[in-house]
Amino acid sequence: MDHLATGSEDLRITFADAQVQPRTVMTSPEWSGIEAHGRRYSPFTMNVECDKPWHTLSGRQHLYLDHAWMLELGEGLPAYRPPLRYTAIFGDQGARDGSGRKELTLQYLTPHSKWSIHSEYQDNLHMLTLFRGGGMLWVSVEDAADLDIADGDWVESYNRNGVIALRATVSHRIPQGTCLLYHAKDRNLQVPLTEMHGRRGGTDNSLTRIVMKPTHFIGGYAQLSFGFNYYGPTGSQRDEVTVLRKREAKVVYE
Amino acid sequence: MTIRAQVGMVMNLDKCIGCHTCSVTCKQVWTDRPGAEYMWFNDVETKPGVGYPKRWEDQEQWRGGWELDKKGRLRLKGGGRLKKLLRIFANPDMPELDDYYEPWTYDFDQLVEAPRQRHDPVARARSQVSGRRMDEIGWGPNWEDNLAGAPERIHDDPLTDGIEDQVRAEYEQAFMLYLPRICEHCLNPACVASCPSGAMYKREEDGIVLVDQEKCRSWRYCVSGCPYKKVYFNHKSGKAEKCTLCYPRIEQGQPTICSETCVGRIRYLGLVLYDVDRVEAAASVPDERDLLAAQRDVFLDPSDPDVRARALADGIPEDWIDAAVRSPVYALAMRYRVALPLHPEYRTLPMVWYVPPLSPIAGTMEADGYEADPDEVFSAVDDPDAMRVPVDYLANLLAAGDGEQIRDVLRRLAAMRHHMRKREVLGEHDESRAAAVGMSVEEIEDLYRLLAIAKYEDRYVIPPAHAEQAGNLLEERGTCGLDFEGGPGNCGAIERDVSRPPGYDAAADAQSAMRPDADRVDLDIVQMLGDRRREEGLDR
Repeated sequence: MDHLATGSEDLRITFADAQVQPRTVMTSPEWSGIEAHGRRYSPFTMNVECDKPWHTLSGRQHLYLDHAWMLELGEGLPAYRPPLRYTAIFGDQGARDGSGRKELTLQYLTPHSKWSIHSEYQDNLHMLTLFRGGGMLWVSVEDAADLDIADGDWVESYNRNGVIALRATVSHRIPQGTCLLYHAKDRNLQVPLTEMHGRRGGTDNSLTRIVMKPTHFIGGYAQLSFGFNYYGPTGSQRDEVTVLRKREAKVVYE
Repeated sequence: MTIRAQVGMVMNLDKCIGCHTCSVTCKQVWTDRPGAEYMWFNDVETKPGVGYPKRWEDQEQWRGGWELDKKGRLRLKGGGRLKKLLRIFANPDMPELDDYYEPWTYDFDQLVEAPRQRHDPVARARSQVSGRRMDEIGWGPNWEDNLAGAPERIHDDPLTDGIEDQVRAEYEQAFMLYLPRICEHCLNPACVASCPSGAMYKREEDGIVLVDQEKCRSWRYCVSGCPYKKVYFNHKSGKAEKCTLCYPRIEQGQPTICSETCVGRIRYLGLVLYDVDRVEAAASVPDERDLLAAQRDVFLDPSDPDVRARALADGIPEDWIDAAVRSPVYALAMRYRVALPLHPEYRTLPMVWYVPPLSPIAGTMEADGYEADPDEVFSAVDDPDAMRVPVDYLANLLAAGDGEQIRDVLRRLAAMRHHMRKREVLGEHDESRAAAVGMSVEEIEDLYRLLAIAKYEDRYVIPPAHAEQAGNLLEERGTCGLDFEGGPGNCGAIERDVSRPPGYDAAADAQSAMRPDADRVDLDIVQMLGDRRREEGLDR
């Protein structure tokens, strides 16, 4: 694989360099894609082109995992898991301030937007201009009607983990009972103080927290070993419920 | 017959993923500067939706484009010269800033310079026009991304007129498509005909429509005259601006920025030869539904020896004719007939065409008794009306309401996929699908190659501008582009008049143009009433 390093022998990145702008690092055999010589990332190009075995026991791609714990928990093959019944486990998430205001408990989704992957934020002027200039929670037609929320109204969404203050985007592409806030939203731009706590708004992850599954404790077993930004058993922290209500208080930023 | 060459574009809507990379790169190159903040020479709209500016497709409101008068003659929908003169200071068909959106920025410096305070600092929005705070942003150039807010205004989309029952804001009925839009660089441009100052023109060499920044007198009739609302008014410089089809790149044989950076590789650029003498007749056919055929009729087959001889005689360089033979635009629009013009009913003979999208089958066994063969993934071959995007909706967008034109294209596209699936997945060689849509196996496989796997050189066939024509281009260079102070300045060859302030007030300019000044020979009124060849032809 030496050819992947050709031309980068003298590469040196100082802290000052990294402060100026993001830097491309050398392609490493630990990684899965070849990003040398101006090429963009594509998964597993290294394995395919350099005959590098996958990081599995067999060295091939696996769909089936025969680890005893995975089998015991029924996850030897990809499996559908219905959402956890959070209200049964943690109690009713709503009516925290006892005001009796109209609220709905909804399934909370935080998928990647079409404009960013992983922790790539899109909070810059062009990208915010190309949507609505600030945080938007996507809500279904039916749920919006129940809560008297019109498209663009300010709303607040909370659960036992936190609270977010943002505006509603009402769309018929969202099914009833679900709301959606795209992943990697920052709270630096156009985020007001919350009505509930009077503190700064929140992000998509204000309502989620890490949830461990027993399968996450498998270690030292081929691909089920720790590797930074690597694959392992599917997480479930995105499986969450939240309470939605319309904002009544004036929107303030300071 | 007089032959001209035109750089045309085709966009394959089947492959647009709505990423807006075209919009962002275009903005960064052309309109990221004062007075141009609200302009997007390239934008991408989610349809159904009202678009940018709002309801631009409603020509009863904006009166852009052309119409036929009672005697069947072509005339501007916005009215002739006399009507323009009478309302020269108050044009009711002019979109206002709110019809586009009020551009904003954020107080970014607050994030690093805010004093110690109780809450995390936040950068609040501020208008780029007035400088006032915008605590609630009301509209943007892509406010309706992915059907955002559609339930409240889905029937405000002019394309749903008359087919409201087919386009409903219901989860189970949801459909959408992305529509990337640039200037159409029309063969019969309404903006050019609307300009009282003769500032807008269509280049003879390649058909690119441009604004002469020196001649523009801020009348803004180009803005209201363009039915696609793709001419914008710079409120700082007081001049009209528009998509230039990145002509400095085109002249070098390079694709436009929007094409170069398109992630989905949906765009094709190439030459089309056409007979300029037949343009007016084509734009004047009585039935709107015949406009597609009429425009195709204006295009000439570059492989025809007679056409080649005539084109050479008309001054088109040989390598341009060769490039026209290889043109993917000609192939998609003419040879395979899968590309259609955007709103042909505006009678501008637009030159950015679209391949309509295939979409999933909406009918189900349970609901409609729809029995699809599992192998017939692309049932549009037999029944385009079973697809999720209503044929009538696409027809209102691309075929002046004629669903048959859409069905014809969808059948070809579905047949292509069906044929390739049979070949690649099932290993069967079946000529019946190609034959059923009037194509040979070679043709349908070539269409597949062009739509699915064509390389850069096949998608962009652009001959560089010619040295012997450089004089013309150079002469135009200083005047046509955006090389004024603060502009992107891609033209290069202009001598700047530094004594003049960079951006002077539009109203003052308009007034000075009205004043009967002895040394001014280019008074707009004179120009408007003068004998301009083009307009003469139209007012006969």
